[in-house]
Amino acid sequence: MNDNELSAAVRESVADVHSATPVAQIISRGRCLRARRRIPAVAGTVTVAAGTALAVTTLLPTGHAGLLPSGHPGLVSSSHPDSQPASARLAAWTVAKEPNGDIDVTINQLEDPAGLQATLRADGLPVNVTFSGSMLSASCQPDQTGTLSAVTQIRGDELVIDPSALPSGAGLAIFDEPGAGTPVLSGTTPTLGTPPAPHPSIPPLLTAIDGPLAVGLVYVSPQCTG
Amino acid sequence: MRWIGVGTQQLDFAEFYRSAADDCLRAVLVSIGDQDTARELVDEAFARAWASWHTVSRHPAPKAWVVRTALNTGISRWRRRRREVPVSDPARITDVPAASGASASLVDPRIMAALLRLPARQRQVVGLRLILDLDTARTAEVLGIAPGTVMAHLGRAMAALRRDLEPELQQENRS
Repeated sequence: MNDNELSAAVRESVADVHSATPVAQIISRGRCLRARRRIPAVAGTVTVAAGTALAVTTLLPTGHAGLLPSGHPGLVSSSHPDSQPASARLAAWTVAKEPNGDIDVTINQLEDPAGLQATLRADGLPVNVTFSGSMLSASCQPDQTGTLSAVTQIRGDELVIDPSALPSGAGLAIFDEPGAGTPVLSGTTPTLGTPPAPHPSIPPLLTAIDGPLAVGLVYVSPQCTG
Repeated sequence: MRWIGVGTQQLDFAEFYRSAADDCLRAVLVSIGDQDTARELVDEAFARAWASWHTVSRHPAPKAWVVRTALNTGISRWRRRRREVPVSDPARITDVPAASGASASLVDPRIMAALLRLPARQRQVVGLRLILDLDTARTAEVLGIAPGTVMAHLGRAMAALRRDLEPELQQENRS
């Protein structure tokens, strides 16, 4: 028996062994691990943000503290754009404002879009957030002309947004896209016009987990982006 | 409107999982010998890969990363439990217990028994080189040993397997 035959025999001895764990289960476990790793960071953030909030409350007029109502489930803290870097962390998502002005958004679960929207708007980002499946509310008009250079990075479930790179008069829409890569327009109004074609670089997306997210440019309006 | 799908990251990972899970499971199985434990460790390693997908996706050999993580996880668990669970000495294994259940019949018991008689490091080298098809340099990197040591381990493992298996296989061929 030469080495090749022996190698083949070893390989064949386990050839019938297959992994049977669904990928969704793996990803779900991975999210738990990721969330667990953030616990020390959250604890540190609580301390920093508490100090920041105290300082802001002391130094700024009432209403600029940047803290969202405590009714948001799991919300720990938030930061004012002018304050020291701090972050708002929620079990479902995290918003962190970086020192260079970038906003780092991590979405772990598609929950509390209103809270995420309010937090991002408080950080100065004109944005519309929905996880309901409908792409945009009736008041939002897609901006077909601008480029999405404001989203500088995508890492896993994290977006890094540079608000200063948004085209003039444009904001962002972040939405759940439960339709295999094609934006779902059912339930939207005719004001949206012809459905935009899906981005050519996006292959069919997973739908079995939380539903993929998408980001697009929209025209700024009080009804759409606040 | 310009679209960016965050879900593409999940798609990338899912594709990697689909293409690599079986190989990683087999490599870990060859290294540790127990299917249920191998599945558990590989699942955990893939979950960690997803948790660090930004890094792992850029790794030159993500399959090797998963297998290394699975083996490390197994070692960590063993260290935690060694005072509670007696660990069998692989050198004393003379045969694999009779197959029980569907999963046990998925491996060739004679070859698995022969593999389990090898030292742990040799089994790891066999898993990485023969099952995962890594080259010597990458195997050395994954295991943190010199390439020459990898070659020596593989040579000894092959010799031992041949000694163990050749008589049986020859007997099979004659009959």
